[in-house]
Amino acid sequence: MLFGYALIAGVLFGLFYAFMSTGLNLLFGVLRLVNLAHGDIVVFGAYVAYSLSSMAGLNPLLAIPITIVPALAFGVLLYYGTVPRLNRSQDTEMASLILFFGVSQVLEAVATFAYGNNQASLSPTTFGGPINILGEHVPATWVVCGLLSIPALVVLFVYLYRSRLGMATRAVMASREEAAAAGINTRRVAALAFGIGVAFAAASGALTIFMLGGVNPSTGSELVLTAFTVVVIGSLGNPIGTVVGGLLYGLVFTFTKTYSPSWADIVPYLLMLVVLLVRPTGILGRRVRSA
Amino acid sequence: MPSPAVAGTGAATTAGAATPAPGTRPGARRWAAWAAYVVVIPVLLYLTPHVYNNQLLLLNLVVYLVLAQGVNVIYGFTGYLPFGYVGFFGAGAYGTSMAVIHLHTGGTVAVLIGAVVSTAMAVVLLPLLRLTGAYFALASLAASQAVYLVIANPSLTSFTKGPYGVDLSRVFNPNLAYLYAAILLAVATAVVVYLRNSAFGLSLRAVRADPLTASVAGINVARARGIAWLASAVLAGLAGGISAWVTSVFYPETVFAINISVFAIVFALFGGVGSVLGPVFGGIILYSLYEYIGVSSPQYFQFAYGLLIVILMLFLPGGLASVARAARSLWERTGGRVHRRA
Amino acid sequence: MPLSLLSRQRSRRSRRWLRSTVAVVAVGALAAACGSSAKKGSTSTGSSQSTLTVGTLYAGSGDYSASSLPEYEGLQFWVNQVNGQGGVTIAGKKYHVKLVAYNDQSDPTTAATLYNQLLTQNKVDVFVADFGSVLTAPAITIAKEHHQVLFDPTGSGAVFFSNGANPYVLLTSLPTSAVWPNVAVDFLLSEHVTKVAIIYGTNDFDGSQAATIKKGLEAKGVTPLYYQGVDSKTSDYGTIIQTVKDKSPQAVIELGYENNDIAFLNDLRSAGVHFPFVLTPFPAQLPDLFAKDVGTAGLAYTFAYGVPPVLQINNVNYGMGFTAFSKAFSAAHGGATLNFLDVAGYNAGLVIQDSLAHAKSTKQLDIRAGAAALSGKLRTLMGSFVIDDTGEQLGELLPVAQYFPNGGFKIVYPADQATTKPVYPAPAS
Repeated sequence: MLFGYALIAGVLFGLFYAFMSTGLNLLFGVLRLVNLAHGDIVVFGAYVAYSLSSMAGLNPLLAIPITIVPALAFGVLLYYGTVPRLNRSQDTEMASLILFFGVSQVLEAVATFAYGNNQASLSPTTFGGPINILGEHVPATWVVCGLLSIPALVVLFVYLYRSRLGMATRAVMASREEAAAAGINTRRVAALAFGIGVAFAAASGALTIFMLGGVNPSTGSELVLTAFTVVVIGSLGNPIGTVVGGLLYGLVFTFTKTYSPSWADIVPYLLMLVVLLVRPTGILGRRVRSA
Repeated sequence: MPSPAVAGTGAATTAGAATPAPGTRPGARRWAAWAAYVVVIPVLLYLTPHVYNNQLLLLNLVVYLVLAQGVNVIYGFTGYLPFGYVGFFGAGAYGTSMAVIHLHTGGTVAVLIGAVVSTAMAVVLLPLLRLTGAYFALASLAASQAVYLVIANPSLTSFTKGPYGVDLSRVFNPNLAYLYAAILLAVATAVVVYLRNSAFGLSLRAVRADPLTASVAGINVARARGIAWLASAVLAGLAGGISAWVTSVFYPETVFAINISVFAIVFALFGGVGSVLGPVFGGIILYSLYEYIGVSSPQYFQFAYGLLIVILMLFLPGGLASVARAARSLWERTGGRVHRRA
Repeated sequence: MPLSLLSRQRSRRSRRWLRSTVAVVAVGALAAACGSSAKKGSTSTGSSQSTLTVGTLYAGSGDYSASSLPEYEGLQFWVNQVNGQGGVTIAGKKYHVKLVAYNDQSDPTTAATLYNQLLTQNKVDVFVADFGSVLTAPAITIAKEHHQVLFDPTGSGAVFFSNGANPYVLLTSLPTSAVWPNVAVDFLLSEHVTKVAIIYGTNDFDGSQAATIKKGLEAKGVTPLYYQGVDSKTSDYGTIIQTVKDKSPQAVIELGYENNDIAFLNDLRSAGVHFPFVLTPFPAQLPDLFAKDVGTAGLAYTFAYGVPPVLQINNVNYGMGFTAFSKAFSAAHGGATLNFLDVAGYNAGLVIQDSLAHAKSTKQLDIRAGAAALSGKLRTLMGSFVIDDTGEQLGELLPVAQYFPNGGFKIVYPADQATTKPVYPAPAS
C-alpha cells in the first residue's frame, strides 16, 4: 500500500526532477560551466505561474509557453554578457561558478523585492481532486506535472537528435575543437544552448510551484543543489543520463521520506557524494571525459 | 570560448605579475617585512577595543579575516574552491560545544578540541580532493550540509542537543577569546607568508598550474593538496570554536549558515587570492561595508552583494591585490626614474 | 635587471607597504574611535536629562523578516503611544522614550554584533530581543555579561531558561514552550481522543512543543501512534500524509513554521485525505497569509492556537484592550489589519512600561524586581503575565481556535474563553 504509493510518487517526482534539471545539464555539456543561478531561474518561472493564476485568474500552466521566449532571450544575453569575458580569466570554471553565484544572489534579491519573503503557493486542487492510479489516490497536481515533464523532455531530445542545430550542439558537447574544425560556429551554438538551458529552467518553474507545495525567494539555492545532484547521478553532459538521474533521485528521496522522514533531507547530499566518489562520471558517463 | 592558446598566454602573464620571480630567495629584510605583516595587523586589531569597545563586532571581523585567509590557503594555492568551507567552521563550533558540555573543559581546551574535530572531518573528506572544479566545490557544500543535518537531527539530541541549541555561557570569556582570535589571525597570515615564500608553496602552485608536470617533476601531488586542505580546515575549526565560545548560546543553523562560506570566499576574492594581505584588506573593507549597508539600507544588501560579485568576476578577477600590484609597478617605474635622476 | 637590485627594490617596496598598512589600520581605528565617542556623547547627554533609550533589533530581510517586522511595528506603536502620554514613569519621574533599532537581516552572527553595539555604544537602558529563538539566542549571554535585563518578546527556547535563576532575561509575549501547548492537550483529552499522530519540524520551536504535547498525553495514558520529526524546510508532506493515513488517527498535529503549515494543509487537500482533527500552530496568527495561500476550503474546521487577533481580550488592567489596540494600530498603519506579532510587540512594550513603573530606579536589577512585582497581577491583551525567577513566562496561555467556513477562526476551548462550541469530528467537505 505505502510501497505502491511511494513508487508512483517517486516516478512522478523523478520525471519532474529530470525536467527541472535538464537545463543545467545542457549548459554544462556545452559550456563546461555550472549555472548556479539555475534554481533562481526556475523560481522566476514559478512566480510567473503564480502571478498568472492569483492576479489574472489564468491557468498557471500558461506560464510555460509565456516564459520560454523571454527566458531564451535572457539566456542568450547573459551568455554574451559574461561568458566571453570569463574565458579570459585564469580559471574559467571557478570564475564562472562564482560569477553565477553572484547572478543568483541578484535574482533572489529581485524576487524578494517583487514578491516578499512569504511562501507563494497555488491551490492544490487546481487540476482537481486526487487521481486513482492502480488503487492509490495520488494528488492531481503530481500527476499533471509529472506527466507534463515527458513531452518537455521529448522536445529536447527531438531537438538534440533530429535537428541540424541540435546535432551541432551535440558535436560541440563531444569535442569543441573537432566541432570547430568541422565548420560549426561553436560560439553561436553555445549561446543558443545557454538560452535553451535557461528557457527549460524557467518553463519547469510552473510545475515546481505545485510539486514543492510553493516557492519563496530562497527556494532557488536549494533547487540548484538538487538539480546538480540529479545531473551528477546521471552524468554531467549526458541528456539521457538526466532522466535516469531524475528517476533515481525521485525514487530514493520519496522512499526515504516515506520510511524515515527525519533523515530524508540528508539523502540528496549523501547521494551526490557517493556517486561522485564511487563513480565520478555518473551512471551513464563515458570514461573518455575526465571530470 | 577563445582557443586554449589564448587563454594560456593570458594565464601566464597574470601569473607572472602575481608572483614576481617566485624562485628568488627573499632577503633578511624581506623576511622582517613579512614578520611585521604577521604581527602588526593582529596587534593593532587586538588593541582596537580600547578605542572602540564593541569587541564582539571586532571579533567577528577577525574571525572572518581568518576564514578568508583559510580560503586563500586552499583556493589561492591549490585552486580548490570550498563552497562547503563553513562545514569546518561548524564542526569546530560543535566540537568546542561538545567538549564544554560533555567533557566539562574550559574554553581554551574546548577550542583546541574543536580544531581536532574539524581536522578529523577534513581527513574523512580527503577523497573529495580527487574531484576537480565545480564537482569539488559543490561536493564540499553537500558534505557540509550533510554534517549539519546530522548534528541537527533530533535523534542525536542527547549528544549534540539536536535542533535545540547549545549553551556555553558557563565558560564565557570574551577577552580571552579575542586574544586568541588575534593570535589566530597572525597564525593564518603566517601560513600564507610561508606558502608564498617556501619551496612547499612553490610546489603547490606548480600543482595548481599543471598537476601532471608537477608529479613528473617529483612533487607528491596528493600529499601537497592534502596538507593545504588540512591547514585550511584547522584554521576554520579554530575560528569556529572561538566564535562558538563568544556566541555562547546558539543553534546548529547559526554556525552552519552557508553565508559564512560565501563571506569568506567573497572577502578573499575581493582582496585577491594568492596574496598575503589581499584577504585581510578585502575582509576589513567589505565587512565594514556590510555593517554599514546592513544598518542603513539592508533591503538592498543581497542585491548589492550579488552585483559586487558579478562586477568583480567580470572586471577585477584578481581582486584588490591586482590593482595594488599594478599601482605599485606604475609607482616604481615613475618613482624609480625620479629617484635615479635625483 | 640584476637580481640584487630587484631584491633591494622589493624590500623597499615592502617597507612602503608596511608603512601604508600601519597608516590604514591606524586611520581605521581612529575613525572608529571618533564614531564611538560621538555616539557615547549623544546618549549620555540624553539620558542625563529625561530620555530613556530602548534598544532592539529587527530582521528587515531574510527568513524571519515576515515575523520580525510586525513585532517591531508593535513595539514602535507602543513607543509612540507612551511618548504621546508624556513618557514612562520610573520612581515618580517621567522619561521620554527613544527607540534605537538595528537590522540584523535574520543573521544570528550579525545580530550578536548589533546586540553588543546596543549595549556598548548606545548604552541602552532597556534591552529588547528580536523575534524568535534563533535571533534571541545571541543576546542571552551578552545580556548576562553586561548585567542588562533582556526583554524577550517571543524567543521561547528552553535553553535560555535552563540555567536556574537568571535575572537578566524575561519572556514577555509568549508562554514558555513547556506550558504553551497544554491547553491543546487538555482539549484533546476532553474530547476523548486516544489515537494521535504528531509531525514536527526539527527545530527548537516545534520540537519543544511536540515534546510537551507528547509528555502531556502520555501522562494521561495516551501514547502517540506516530511521532515524527521532519526537516524544517519540508514543503511536501504528501508521502508523510499517506503514512499517517495508514494508521487512521483521530487527531493529527502538525507543528511547523508558517510555510510548513501552509504546505501541510494544502497537501492534505491535494491528497484528498480527511482527518477528524487537524491542528497547526500558525493559521490564527497570520490569518491573511493563510486565507491567501490555503483558503477557506483548506482551513475548514482545522484547529490552531487561539492567539490575537482571534483571541480578543478586552478585560485588561493595563494598556489597551484588544479592540482599542486594533482600532488604534490600524489607524496608525493606514488601515492595515494586525496579526499576532503586532500584538506581541505591543505587549512587550506594556510589560516594559509596567516593570519600569514598579522599579525603584533605572538600575537593571530594580527593573527586573519591578517585573517580578507584576507577576500574576498584570493583565494585558495577551492575558495574565506570570514570571518565575528563570525568566520563563508561565501565563498568557493560548486557547484552542477552530476555523469555521462562514466566520473564520473562533475560540472553542477552554469553555470560559470559548465564543462557540467545537465541531469534532470535523465534517468532511
